[in-house]
Amino acid sequence: MVDAGLLDATVQGLITGSIIAGGALGLSLIYNIAEVPNFAHGDMITIGAYLALVFNNPGEIPFLPAFGSAPLVAAAVVGVVLAGVLGATYELTIFRKFRKRDADIITMVIVSLGLALVLRNVVLFLVGSKNIRYQSASVSNTNFDFLVTGGGMTVTTTQRQAGEVVTTGQWGYPWWLLVGGLLVAAAVGYGVYRAYRREEGFDTVYLVPPKILGFTVAAATVIGLGAFVQLAPQGTDPIVATRIGLSIKHLTIIGVVLAAMFVLNVALKTTKLGRAMRATADNMDLAEVRGVDADRVQLLVWVIASMLAALAGVLTGWFATNLTPNMGFTLLLPIFAAVILGGISSPYGAVAGAMIIGVSMDVSVYLLPSHFATYRVAVAFLILIAVLMVKPEGLWGDV
Amino acid sequence: MSEDSLVPSPEETILEVDGVEKHFGGITALDGVNLSVGPGITGLIGPNGAGKTTFFNCLTGFYTPEVGSIRFEGTDITGARPPAVAQQGMVRTFQIPRELSEMTVLENLLLAPPDQTGERLSGAWVRGDQFVEDELDVRERALEMADFFELDHLLDEPAGNLSGGQRKLLELARALLTDPEMVLLDEPLAGVNPTLEEKILERIHELEEQGYTFLFVEHDIDVIMEHCERVVVLHRGEVLTSGTPEEVQSDERVIEAYLGEVDV
Amino acid sequence: MAVADFLITLVTFIAIYSLFGIGLNLKFGFTGLIDFGHVAYFMVGAYVTVVLTLPADAPTYGGIGGFDLPGLFAALGPLGSLFGWVLGVLGGMIAAALVSLAVGVPTLRLREDYLAITALGIATILNTVVKDEDWLFNGPYGISGVHKPLVDVFPISLGSFTVNMAVFGLLSVAIFGYVAYWLVNRFRDAGRTGRILMVASVGLVSVWYFVMPVVDGGGTVELTKNVLWLFDPTAGPNGGLDYDRFVLLLSLGFLAGGYHWVERTINSPYGRVLRAIREDEDVPQALGKETFQYKMQALMFGSALAGAAGALWAVNIGFVSPDQFASTITFFAFTAVIIGGTANNKGVILGTAVFWAIRNGTRFIDVPSQYSIQLAAARLILIGVILMVILYYRPEGLLGEQDYDIDLPTSLRGGSDDV
Repeated sequence: MVDAGLLDATVQGLITGSIIAGGALGLSLIYNIAEVPNFAHGDMITIGAYLALVFNNPGEIPFLPAFGSAPLVAAAVVGVVLAGVLGATYELTIFRKFRKRDADIITMVIVSLGLALVLRNVVLFLVGSKNIRYQSASVSNTNFDFLVTGGGMTVTTTQRQAGEVVTTGQWGYPWWLLVGGLLVAAAVGYGVYRAYRREEGFDTVYLVPPKILGFTVAAATVIGLGAFVQLAPQGTDPIVATRIGLSIKHLTIIGVVLAAMFVLNVALKTTKLGRAMRATADNMDLAEVRGVDADRVQLLVWVIASMLAALAGVLTGWFATNLTPNMGFTLLLPIFAAVILGGISSPYGAVAGAMIIGVSMDVSVYLLPSHFATYRVAVAFLILIAVLMVKPEGLWGDV
Repeated sequence: MSEDSLVPSPEETILEVDGVEKHFGGITALDGVNLSVGPGITGLIGPNGAGKTTFFNCLTGFYTPEVGSIRFEGTDITGARPPAVAQQGMVRTFQIPRELSEMTVLENLLLAPPDQTGERLSGAWVRGDQFVEDELDVRERALEMADFFELDHLLDEPAGNLSGGQRKLLELARALLTDPEMVLLDEPLAGVNPTLEEKILERIHELEEQGYTFLFVEHDIDVIMEHCERVVVLHRGEVLTSGTPEEVQSDERVIEAYLGEVDV
Repeated sequence: MAVADFLITLVTFIAIYSLFGIGLNLKFGFTGLIDFGHVAYFMVGAYVTVVLTLPADAPTYGGIGGFDLPGLFAALGPLGSLFGWVLGVLGGMIAAALVSLAVGVPTLRLREDYLAITALGIATILNTVVKDEDWLFNGPYGISGVHKPLVDVFPISLGSFTVNMAVFGLLSVAIFGYVAYWLVNRFRDAGRTGRILMVASVGLVSVWYFVMPVVDGGGTVELTKNVLWLFDPTAGPNGGLDYDRFVLLLSLGFLAGGYHWVERTINSPYGRVLRAIREDEDVPQALGKETFQYKMQALMFGSALAGAAGALWAVNIGFVSPDQFASTITFFAFTAVIIGGTANNKGVILGTAVFWAIRNGTRFIDVPSQYSIQLAAARLILIGVILMVILYYRPEGLLGEQDYDIDLPTSLRGGSDDV
């Protein structure tokens, strides 16, 4: 039996980070472009999760007839779209009006607080406070045991099937392959970075910053090599051994969030509206002078951010296996921490901040005595406060 | 800058700036500013983006320069926080007037004088004789100042209701109530109508005679040339030249800097 | 339960939360600090006071203390234990101020929105600490058996029904008289909408308080109880001033003290600097004011008032536990301050009254018990909507910012009256 270790805590942290990132992507848009520190964002996440529930598991909602259940993916898509409509409603009925009055940031904070109160209690009013699940196929964890032995590394995968632990696979990598593979990955990553990097200038806008691209390609190479080049086991007498528990669910969550980040980034940098959004973020008045339709941009910001929040809500509900009216609000603090930490200006920053927060939450829980498990969110916050003490503008600044 | 016959002697120097640099990200705003300021009115000019406002912010503690030192009346004030600089006797006005719009004109003025007993929590709670005495004294001075700047008919008006020119006057009056030795004026005439402009300049000259020192940033070169004894030209974060208005005006580099033709 | 008893509970609540709100108003209304962690100081004040006044061998309590200050000073004489409790409250206030000092050092330099978020985060963390660390304040089990000052003395009867009637009865009626007088004066000053609102609300409350008991079949007994609300006239010679009424008077006394203390602070050159910071911190800085110190002092003072409110809350409820101090309490206080009028201490009291009247008054609406969650949620939806509507249509709140006046010998002062 191999124990889960630091590596597993890190992987769990990345999953937690992805959940947070889902919220942070939308919040950073609203924060940066609409200039609203949106305290309702947590509850927009909750609303999104329950919108999908309406189609996935209507029987659980008191006033709805049990009209059958749509698959979670379909329900999520409908929920996200409806959330976008709600986002437009928030902008048109509330935030646009306050913006027209030049409301200061303090007012915006409190308006969003009022909206948060309304949203959370609408859920309570309609659905009640009980815990509800999505109807979805149960997903079982696969445990990857990594054993570092004299000859290299052995990987054993086990799964719990019908109450029995079953070994589903065993393979290994000899030392030469491990070292060689890492070297190849590093070389490929660096090569991509060099090839992609251009002369720095004021108008240089990278779709993906070269450092991030290089790192991503290197990581992908390691994973790709590991997945496809599976040689014979290298013994089962470990010097060091560690276990990572993973499931398709986890990988899906990470994948969906990274994809959302990438799509958002591409949209911001290549489309006309995206560029208008970035210009508005820099300076709303100047953008308007240059012919950007600020109202349209802000409307779009709220729609997209609400859709991202709803996506985060569905992922959270699916991941945590149940929905409660407080689910989003409890996420609000880590999300704010991630957004401020990452600098409020880019999708990459938001996701990077979220990953830092997520990993530090789970790794600290692993490292600290079990009694401290309830301080997960506190850890995220202590990191944020520590960073703000040194750099009051956040890690990457408010550029 | 050997041609500047007006560089103050060490005994006369009030403000001494030595090699001050300030960067924002990759942009250099101040690139080693060296400057000595003596009594009287010194003008500070320079094309847009020369770093004048950044320089003021460094002098008054709103920015901390990365390199260099600032000495005011012999005391090193490099990196001091804004209140400390003001308490030393160097006070600034803002380019865009920062009146406290929801407070009355009188309250704006009453705020300024230093060391009021009632400004401390203990003073406000205890309210002894000193509290009353100080407050009456502060009021008297505020009223005099309001008189001097012809704001006396507006005392109970919220400062937000003032006209642009009146705001400039309020800003200046407020700065003077802090008992400064030296006043940094950041474009005190921008957006002011000619009549009021004359009035402000007249006030500045009267104050100069009373012994105040001024460092005066202004866009309107003619005003600077007419009213300053000495002019300093800032360009691309450096002091390009300094001297009498005539010397500066005839300096080709200044003309080129303003026309923006030369890459130094 | 007589309507009078409900009203006494409600007004006690309002007094305590008004004191809490006045502390918040000092931070938010006058100084511009968005302290979303205000409830933390309410909690610290409540817990520290409770622990300082808790007997050493309190059953079912496993945290640090109790320090039994009332017991310690009981030897001094009849009022000794009250003195011990007052010391406990002072301890709670000081503890709240010190905690806010520790919070303020890293956060007060931040942007206002970052301050709001970090303050909320720290309050949440502090709540988690109190909930999870059993050794500290007994963790999630809370503390029961809170010391109630002078509880043994009550109900105070003056000896006979006649004397009770003469003293408490007259006092009750006199207070109604004063309230009526005060309302008439307000009515004269009020504008058209204000008058309509006043007539409607006063009329409704009067009908509910004086007419409904009779119509409902309670008859004159209930009506008498309501009119002579300070004591229980039906209990014969024993029916004196009871403890609930004492807590009400105690809370009102604390509120009056806190109100005047803050008023004194605000109507001074000190208050001028605070308001300058709220409007544009660069200006007082450029004029040589150490704004960080001012912000810190306002934070600590406001927190100490929240601490005092916490101490009263503990006496009123008789039990403290971490769940009572959720962040929603802070948001409710913000709502109350904004409804009544930001930077207006009278407005805070009015706003708190309106808020808690909506929050608790609706319990008289009869709904089947399975819909109690819906009713609670509907109330909060209403409050959220009111908050946004007020911010949009009347951002200065019902009363608007207050006037300021520094007390000076009138013959000497110049300029205006409302400075």
